Amino acid sequence: MTAFIRTEGLSKWYGNVLGLSDVTLEIGPGITGLLGPNGAGKSTFLKLITGQMKPSIGRATIDGRDIWNQYPVFKRLGFCPEQDAFYEEMTGWEFLRRLLGLHGFPRAESDSRAEEALRFVELSGDKDRLIRGYSRGMRQRLKFAQAIAHDPEIMILDEPLNGLDPLSKRKVIRLIKEYKDAGKTIIVSSHVLPEIEALTRTIVLVHQGKILARGDIHDIRDLIDKHPHMISVKTHDSRNLAASFVGEPTVSNIRFGPAPDAVVFETKDRDRFFALLMRLIAERKIEVEEITSPDDNLQAVFDYLIGK
Amino acid sequence: MTMIYAAIRSVFVFFLFIGRKARKTRLFFLISGLPVVAALIIQTTRVFTAGSSVDGPAVFTVILMAFNLQFLILVLALFYGTSICSEEVEGKTLTYLTTRPLPKPAIILGKYAASALFLILMVATSVVAAFVILHIDRLFDAGAWLAMLRGLGVLALGLACYLAFFTMIGTFLKKSILFGLFFCFGWESVVQYFPGTTQKFTIMHYLKSLLPAVTLGGEKLSFLVFRLEPSSAAASITTLLVLTAVFLALAGLIFSRKEYLFDD
Repeated sequence: MTAFIRTEGLSKWYGNVLGLSDVTLEIGPGITGLLGPNGAGKSTFLKLITGQMKPSIGRATIDGRDIWNQYPVFKRLGFCPEQDAFYEEMTGWEFLRRLLGLHGFPRAESDSRAEEALRFVELSGDKDRLIRGYSRGMRQRLKFAQAIAHDPEIMILDEPLNGLDPLSKRKVIRLIKEYKDAGKTIIVSSHVLPEIEALTRTIVLVHQGKILARGDIHDIRDLIDKHPHMISVKTHDSRNLAASFVGEPTVSNIRFGPAPDAVVFETKDRDRFFALLMRLIAERKIEVEEITSPDDNLQAVFDYLIGK
Repeated sequence: MTMIYAAIRSVFVFFLFIGRKARKTRLFFLISGLPVVAALIIQTTRVFTAGSSVDGPAVFTVILMAFNLQFLILVLALFYGTSICSEEVEGKTLTYLTTRPLPKPAIILGKYAASALFLILMVATSVVAAFVILHIDRLFDAGAWLAMLRGLGVLALGLACYLAFFTMIGTFLKKSILFGLFFCFGWESVVQYFPGTTQKFTIMHYLKSLLPAVTLGGEKLSFLVFRLEPSSAAASITTLLVLTAVFLALAGLIFSRKEYLFDD
């Protein structure tokens, strides 16, 4: 069965502050990326389509049924929240099976589903550890597990790759793609373009509470590629790495910081830059801790797109 | 109806598990155990002090009335009740509950039931232990056991009612603890001594109406029943049960209508 999320003129105000304005969308099976800078309205949109907030105006529906206070829709919906919050005194295993108990599954089924979800996110070996002892990557995967354990048709992921190291990011991206292959409807929000790019071609650009653009990521990329792109690399060899890029025509600016051991490159040809970076990392055996696109870059891209 | 019951039950089981492991449970279990420590000290002193005039049963009544009824159940209900909603909001774990196929009132009622069970067990353990220690030489006195069970019943009713009240307050007030402290040690502590009908606007009035405090405590407890114009037992029990039901219904209603935003 395929599930569709529809919004019609969806709007939300927080007092006098506009959170989301007149959003009309239809999202079906596959992965849809929700992209926008922090504060753009992505989380507000996700809270409205997961029934955590009531629309000020408009509707949000799943297959024609309103979401706000309609608890049966949550049998079909899995949500992975942005916040890193858990019942810390539980083990990963207990967390999953107790949440499955809230779905009304009998004990034996809760146990088997929890086992299956933990296996899927590769946490079986750590299932009996307390959550407060989990690493950031493990916690993110556990959040993912609780969203899929009841096998929902729709999965909504709020910044699922936030703060993960490259290895954990790859793992979570693979998990999301595997879930898409099962014909599910998935919405992923992020403020980092390459993260969304790694997941899907279908994106919705959100800015200042409005849908700025919607469509194939490559069309947006064509626009974005004309604008300098910032890439931050965190490594103990930051000076060596920076020196290697001096004179490289695709790099227009290099600077250190703000994090210790971080070097920030500015490029207009992202693909060529990444190809070169990967080659250097492999050839010189540079140990990289993290590669990120700083948030302000996306803000700049949005400013560029809206013609500021 | 069966679905609502099943939902409440599943939330109850969930929080029974979490509550067992919570630090808060251990802390309040220790606080509720203070009368046991006091009873032990009193009995030990009595053994080592020849001709001591300390009367165990009278001390027990003072503990029951002055500490458990006037202080402990209020504090326990205040901290547990106001946190039923706020600890999920402040801990940002509310999302895990509200994105399950559960009617929202079931979340509040299930957590309330788990908290009520914990509190009643805490208080009952403390009361029974203090009773046994202070009645060590009269353990076969059926009348004393009955009086203790009656006191325990009153404390359980009080816990249920105060907990429901603070659960309701916690669903709509952000600074519910401050309001709760004012309510417990302002309103409830003062208005219960007002003459006439006014004292009936306190929960404590109905709880005290159910206790044979004067006969058990004698003059030592006269300050607690000063100006008490007791309601009948039937009216008191009915009022407490109706208040509990109304507070819980309002808590469920508010929780299902209100949007809870996390502080980011």
